Amino acid sequence: MAEADEKEPYRWGMVVDLDRCTGCEACVVACHAENNIRISGEREAAEGRAINWIRIERYWEGEYPNVKAKFMPVLCQHCGNAPCEPVCPVYASYHTPDGLNAQVYNRCIGVRYCGNNCPYVARQFNWFDPHWDAPLEEQLNPDVTVRQNGIMEKCTFCVQRIRKANEQADQEGRHIRDGEVQPACVQTCPTSALVFGNRNDPKSQVSVMARSDRGFRLLESLGTDPAVTYLKRLS
Amino acid sequence: MKIKRRTWIKAAAAAMAAAALPGCKPQAHKLVPYLLPDDEIVPGVADWYASTCDECSAGCGVLVRTMEGRAKKIEGNPDHPVNEGKLCARGQAAVQSLYHPDRLREPRQRNRKSSGAFEPITWQKAIGVIAEQLRSAHGRIVMISRPLSGTSRALLLEFMDMVGGRLYWYDPAADVPLRTALSLSFGHVGLPHYDLAGADYLVSFGTPFLEQWLSPVSYGVAFGRMRQGRPTVRGHFVHIEPRLSLTAASADRWIPIRPGTEGTLALGLGHLLMTEQSEHRSNHLRGSYEALFGGVDLKRIAIDTDVPTDELRRLAKECAGARHPLVIGGGAACSHTNATQSLMAINGLNALLANIGQPGGVRFYRSHALPNHGEDQTVPWLTERLAQALLGEFESGQPSVLLVNECNPVFSMPPAMHMDRLFARASFVASFGPLLDESASLADVVCPSHHWLEGWGDHVPDAAMAVETTSLRQPAVRPLYDSREFGDTVLELARAVRPGFLPVKSFAELVKHHWTSGFGGISLAEQEQQWISSLQQGGRWKDDAKPLSVTARRPPTRLDPASFMGDEQLYPLHLYPYPSMTMGHSGAHLPWLQELPDTLTTAMWGTWVEINPATAARYGIAQGDIVRIESSRGSIEAPAMLFPGIRPDVVAMPVGQGHTSYGRYATGRGVNPLQLAVPAFDHESGAFATGATRVQIEGTGRRGRLVLLQQPAVDASELIQVDPAKPIL
Repeated sequence: MAEADEKEPYRWGMVVDLDRCTGCEACVVACHAENNIRISGEREAAEGRAINWIRIERYWEGEYPNVKAKFMPVLCQHCGNAPCEPVCPVYASYHTPDGLNAQVYNRCIGVRYCGNNCPYVARQFNWFDPHWDAPLEEQLNPDVTVRQNGIMEKCTFCVQRIRKANEQADQEGRHIRDGEVQPACVQTCPTSALVFGNRNDPKSQVSVMARSDRGFRLLESLGTDPAVTYLKRLS
Repeated sequence: MKIKRRTWIKAAAAAMAAAALPGCKPQAHKLVPYLLPDDEIVPGVADWYASTCDECSAGCGVLVRTMEGRAKKIEGNPDHPVNEGKLCARGQAAVQSLYHPDRLREPRQRNRKSSGAFEPITWQKAIGVIAEQLRSAHGRIVMISRPLSGTSRALLLEFMDMVGGRLYWYDPAADVPLRTALSLSFGHVGLPHYDLAGADYLVSFGTPFLEQWLSPVSYGVAFGRMRQGRPTVRGHFVHIEPRLSLTAASADRWIPIRPGTEGTLALGLGHLLMTEQSEHRSNHLRGSYEALFGGVDLKRIAIDTDVPTDELRRLAKECAGARHPLVIGGGAACSHTNATQSLMAINGLNALLANIGQPGGVRFYRSHALPNHGEDQTVPWLTERLAQALLGEFESGQPSVLLVNECNPVFSMPPAMHMDRLFARASFVASFGPLLDESASLADVVCPSHHWLEGWGDHVPDAAMAVETTSLRQPAVRPLYDSREFGDTVLELARAVRPGFLPVKSFAELVKHHWTSGFGGISLAEQEQQWISSLQQGGRWKDDAKPLSVTARRPPTRLDPASFMGDEQLYPLHLYPYPSMTMGHSGAHLPWLQELPDTLTTAMWGTWVEINPATAARYGIAQGDIVRIESSRGSIEAPAMLFPGIRPDVVAMPVGQGHTSYGRYATGRGVNPLQLAVPAFDHESGAFATGATRVQIEGTGRRGRLVLLQQPAVDASELIQVDPAKPIL
């Protein structure tokens, strides 16, 4: 887990600036498009089985007329001490050397212990096989596995993009440059509220921003050591 | 020398190699102009095409990732000045409109008199049938189209001129009162650039600029900058609207104003700026604005608007104290019978704050259109009042031929406008949309156009920008079905009516001709080079745009109070229909958008009615109860959503659902709140005052189903009650 991190060139992380986030949900659709997330349909959504790797949580504060709605994009926090990892009986949930909390779909046997143990409700279970009305399946991204019934799934920080950038950088004998890899959500975010990068590079934008005095992490007291830092909204 | 196709592609490849210099963005290496032939597609390797999103009129630049000839993902084009690499939810979902299972696959014809069912026909027959109608109805032709720009606009204007027809733009999200107010206030047709990024104090009168107002991605980008883009300044933002919209939720302060009094509040603000805060601004406009802002009674304003005078004073003080204050109005402020007057008062505030043409203010630029885009001709907007006149004309005089292009007035205009009757009365209706929507299903012939990912085109941003921008659209995938480029359909129709119309082979050639002749004076080879590099880049943006010096003309001398339809005793509440933040007026057919939770309610897949908890308690309505909402026009039912951010005298409903024909994901889902809307028009522009209807509500005693992302883990009724007074054992 976290001990090996210092020797690795990369430790991926994200910063979410809540003062910029407007809750427009472009990230949510971008994530669906990139990661072959199923269309659940009204019935499954009503049963709480719609799958979103990133969601916008909304909190009402106060009462009319002094009421505020605040929101926060929540995705897998890629915890350094991930509660989902030790409970997996088949090592489907594990930590990669570059700091990703990975899910190996073809190991997963669907016991859902990981989902149960995740304090961020980042993991979602496929209760049904996915279905796309033809020809909607033409859109599916060939770089990403389509998950079947009985599999737990979650945000990967768009690992397919990270791996591709890694290969490219290796071929050119260099490290991945800051900003070279962007998960789909970060890439599309109109207000640039989401920033992604290498936390092992102290000069990367994500490291600089994470040191902001507005920074906090979700449910930090649980000791999960999340890789996502939120910057507090100023109003 | 004759250039073969093969050589052509090689030339293009050479141009690509030349573009791939160090320092370019990684995508630029792979940007491919034109569709690749099959033998150059490598399985598993992505090809990228630069193009321009056509899901709304903003025209964001996109890069389309294709693999094996199929579009996989749409990304923002990082170099494009409109969206700077970013994209909204609708733009991201555009691949679903390309692969929509219910897209029309070939032209169809319907025999209105017999069965009424659509039968597939050939393109030749479709063109023949429509052309015959156009020939026999010369001078009695009406075309309603979504707003177009660039070459398709120029072509359509020329075509309508030739067949002797009238052309109207129609877009339910056009905010026609705002456009009318801008041209009255500033004498300039066209939208300005609101420089949010440079503003340090923003007052918004109802504008949903963080949802889908005019150019949502560019406003999103600018908003990010306004908040956190400058090292020492964080722009302050106040939003004024009866409902706490998604945009309002991002504001520092939300002012829940009484519906229809936006203009009144602007008067009060203007009055204070002129009287109490005048030392902060050099004000040569004082005299001309005296009539409007001078004699107002602040106490009266506080009562009318339900905004305390202290709040008004604070607004005025903050506005006057800011270095770059900016006031914008639209959306909710466009939905009343005094909308244009209100927006003119709001424009007047900018004039008083002396921010016209200034950084962080309201900036006007010359249109970015190329010389041959026909920009000198303006196309009228089809407002509801105009549509009513058109219907009267169709019903009394000789019926006309009706052409409808990619808009759905039968659904998106309030049902009280009886657009279905307009279609029924027309002697012949042809539709060019991709789906059999409510309007197309009333047509005689339907000619499906290509999806924008399959077609050519150029685009000029609706709102002028600081960088002169013209974008290009090129096919990223081969057409899936037997559809056609809309421009080619127009060309063919034109030639069937008058042989020899425009000496070009295809619409694509016309786009290229307009583009390359726009450069002027350079050699053919250079033009070719320019064309190819423009295609790779996704368009042309080079110089700073030419600013227009615009003077604020005399403001209106009066402001009428908004009128409301329905007796206040019988119908005590205001109905507030707003375009759904996830789907807008026209996105209900896309499953991703249906399943996208509305941020403030987290609701998906349906319609609901938002009620203030205090109002709900008074009516005995609980979350999820089916509520009947009734106006003098009829009633509809929807599940209740207790919504803390709404005035107690207002109920709000999202517009966009309630389709009877719009593909499998939208048809028969939810209700359309505009069914309740009683006709009332903005005096100046003629736009329907959607916020003018009064309603009453009552619980039906039935429970409905709200599909929510954020649900309580345990319903209160499932908890076991334990009485702490008694020992359990």
